[in-house]
Amino acid sequence: MGILNILRVGASALNAQRLRMETIATNIANVQSTKTDDGGPYVKKETTFVPTDLSDSKVFSSMLSEKVEGVKVGEIRNSDKPFEKVYDPGHPDADGEGYVTYPNVNLLSEMADMMVATRAYEANVNVVNTTKEMYLKALDIGK
Amino acid sequence: MKIESINIGPLTGNAPLGSAKKPSASFGDILKDSIQKVTDLEKDANLQTEKLTRMENQDIHNTMISIEKADLSYHLMMQVRNKIISAYEEVMRMQV
Repeated sequence: MGILNILRVGASALNAQRLRMETIATNIANVQSTKTDDGGPYVKKETTFVPTDLSDSKVFSSMLSEKVEGVKVGEIRNSDKPFEKVYDPGHPDADGEGYVTYPNVNLLSEMADMMVATRAYEANVNVVNTTKEMYLKALDIGK
Repeated sequence: MKIESINIGPLTGNAPLGSAKKPSASFGDILKDSIQKVTDLEKDANLQTEKLTRMENQDIHNTMISIEKADLSYHLMMQVRNKIISAYEEVMRMQV
C-alpha cells in the first residue's frame, strides 16, 4: 500500500466521521421536535460504519493483493429506542390525555457521541499528519 | 550422436532485442511521466481549493489532503531533481 493510499484511507475515515457528526447535529437540533411531516415526533438517527474498498478497480494489481480498505457510513437508520412521554396539556402537540411524545434523543448521550466523533476525527488527522512526517523523513535518507 | 548448434541468440546491437520486445520507456520518459503525475496532483489540489472557496465542496479535509498529496509528491520530485543534478555535476567534474 503506497503512502498516498494511506492518505486516502484517512480521508475516507474523515468523511465518515463528518457524516456521523452531521447526524449528531441533526439529532441535537431536533431534540424537542414533537411533530414531523410523518406525524409522530422526530426519530433519532444512528450511523453504522462498514469497511470499503477504495482501490481503483481498473488497476489489476489492486484486485490481487493491494486492497485499500477504508471506511464509509453503511447506513443511517432510525433508532428504535422508546419515546419519552411528558404530561403537558397546554402543548399544541399533546394527545387526548394531555401527554406530549418527545423524540427519543438523549442529549447527554448525543454529547458523548459528539466527543467520540471529535476524537475519532482527531485520531485520523493524526494518522494523516504522521504519514506525511514518515514520507518526508524517508526523503531525508541520504541527505 | 547428434550435435546441436549452440544458439546464443542475437548478440549484435540492440535492434533485434528492441524489435522483439515492447520498446521500454527511456529514463527521460519515466521522468516526464512522474512530473506529469505531480502536475496532475497539483491541479487536483487547485481544483479542490477553488471548489472550497466557491463553497461547492463542504469537506475541508479533502481539500487539505489533496494539498498534502501535491506537497509530498512535489517534495519527492525535488529530491529526484537534486539527485539528478548532483549526479550530473559529478560527471562534469570527472577528469578526462
